[in-house]
Amino acid sequence: VTDIAAFLDDFDASLKRGAVPLTTFNDPEIHSLELDRIFTRAWVFVGHESEIPAHGDYVQRPIGRDPFVLVRGEDGVIRVLFDACRHRGAMVCRAERGNAALFRCPYHGWTYKNTGELAGVPFMRKAYGAQLDKSELGLLAAPHVESLHGLVFASLDPDAPPLGEYLGEMKWYLDMIWGQCPQGWEVVGDPQRYRLDADWKTAAENFAGDDYHTFYLHRSTIETGIMGGVQYGDISENLEGFHVRGGNGHNLIRFTMPTDVPGPHFFGFPPELFDGGALGPELFEAAKGTAGFVSTVFPNFSFLAFPFHHVRSAGPVATLVLHLWQPAAAGEMVVWTWAMCPKGATDEFRRESYRTTMGTFSGGGTFEADDTDPWMAIARSAGATYARKAALKADVRMGMGGAGVSKRAYDYPDPGIAYFNVLEEGAARGFHRRWLQFMRAEHYPPPMTAEEQDADTGGPSANGHG
Amino acid sequence: VSSMVEADQRRVASGSEAYWRCVDYLVDEAAALDENRLDDWLAMLHPEIDYRVPIRITRERTAGAGFSAEGNHLFENHESLSLRIERFATEYAWSEDPPSRTRRFVTNFRVFELPGGDLRVRHNLLVYRERMAERGSQLLSAQREDDLREHDGALRLVRRTVLLDHAVLATPNLGIFL
Repeated sequence: VTDIAAFLDDFDASLKRGAVPLTTFNDPEIHSLELDRIFTRAWVFVGHESEIPAHGDYVQRPIGRDPFVLVRGEDGVIRVLFDACRHRGAMVCRAERGNAALFRCPYHGWTYKNTGELAGVPFMRKAYGAQLDKSELGLLAAPHVESLHGLVFASLDPDAPPLGEYLGEMKWYLDMIWGQCPQGWEVVGDPQRYRLDADWKTAAENFAGDDYHTFYLHRSTIETGIMGGVQYGDISENLEGFHVRGGNGHNLIRFTMPTDVPGPHFFGFPPELFDGGALGPELFEAAKGTAGFVSTVFPNFSFLAFPFHHVRSAGPVATLVLHLWQPAAAGEMVVWTWAMCPKGATDEFRRESYRTTMGTFSGGGTFEADDTDPWMAIARSAGATYARKAALKADVRMGMGGAGVSKRAYDYPDPGIAYFNVLEEGAARGFHRRWLQFMRAEHYPPPMTAEEQDADTGGPSANGHG
Repeated sequence: VSSMVEADQRRVASGSEAYWRCVDYLVDEAAALDENRLDDWLAMLHPEIDYRVPIRITRERTAGAGFSAEGNHLFENHESLSLRIERFATEYAWSEDPPSRTRRFVTNFRVFELPGGDLRVRHNLLVYRERMAERGSQLLSAQREDDLREHDGALRLVRRTVLLDHAVLATPNLGIFL
């Protein structure tokens, strides 16, 4: 793309018609602008507190393509430090995980505390006299770092709103998912990473609300019984879920389950690990009444929980996976995968849940392996010169104008704008609408209004028109 | 995960009968996988097989090789491997249809006899993988730590740990067996 402003104008007009210019999924100029306007502004997932339980524990984590260190300092404070020495810019954190009191730059020996503070400069007096003020030369740190139920997010934009405001109605769902186990949740093992020739947005919009693909792309898992983890009805044929616009481009697919039937409840996890807890009965009942979910928190953090069969001779096993779709280049990403388990689960459950999670939604997973095929093919098409010249568009019109069976669920009791059932693509439209707002804005964009979240639906809208 | 040779493992001399049985098994196994004879491959496995591909990360020299204590790319048993193969036989296992062209190079065999009589084979694996031409090809490099056990008159793989040299997998999925 040579004229980005014109491209974004066309993107806007296309989206209103339920179309997305395919070039957005593989273009170097768009990729560069995304790094600048989305990934140095938005709240990005960087890891889970359980990965760094002790003072001095650290893991290397990207924000966009930029190298950061998620570290719990000697003062117990979690920081996200930019991994570049303040002297000449060499890397100071030299392993992907570890425990360190100090980060040492190998080039000239500048040394930093695990709080980011500059601790030592070789030959400081002889080399610099009094001209160097160590207090001004700590490692750069993300201006905003916040945790929610152990999930750590960071924003590089001083003007970004607080995390709770950024999450909007989606915060209620994060409370519902991760706020109901008295001992909390933890990640199991180290995250898996694989490099994929596909755009991060393709994966993000898939998890935001693409149920349509499940019944065809993942049909092998239906035919072999891997998917058959929900016994109240058959989820493989079940469209009876909600698409929830969670605010600011966040979306959630939610499959509910009446609390007076056998279940699965609590996303299939053992009910004894959940208790009415600190956040009140409303959220607890909502968690109990949820069989599974899939979600994307804008821009590139997704999660999913469903019970699946790793083997058919045993019952379905609950899984909960986190994904970070890290942009790596135009049409290329690194997929990060964490499996999660409630603390206090038995060793056996933890192991079976882990192997089922990795066996379904990871680079070695029976679902996700098949996702990688069309995701790569989309990047291939999107990078084609002819796709750009012919202005080829992805079609995301499903549900617009009230066509189809999915309708706004005005009686949905929980936060967000809900549609029932899941056979609609408004979630993708809302995701791309938020993307456009970030891409066009010179400064941090204002929050998305309810009208904007649902503006490209064309049918009965959030404000009651039509 | 340890690739150190433990004291109670007795090295089996290269060129001995036991050594060649192990090599024959692993070369035949590689051929079955490269030729996409997955049912033949499954039949070569011990019913109690424990199959793992640990996740690896970059650690400092003093912290060891960087294999995750609990994290595995693949963490399978006989029944789950069988289910994966059954899935490939459906018409909808898109990521491996068309199938990858693979070539497994198995080398550097060291055979040890374990106290219970199993044979442990540490060897190197290089897998060439290519599928759709425009996406190029990939190489996966690993050490395998395999235990072979006598079962119904033949050696069967009862435990495999694939110690990858990759921290970030350089392949779009693990739709192939390592």
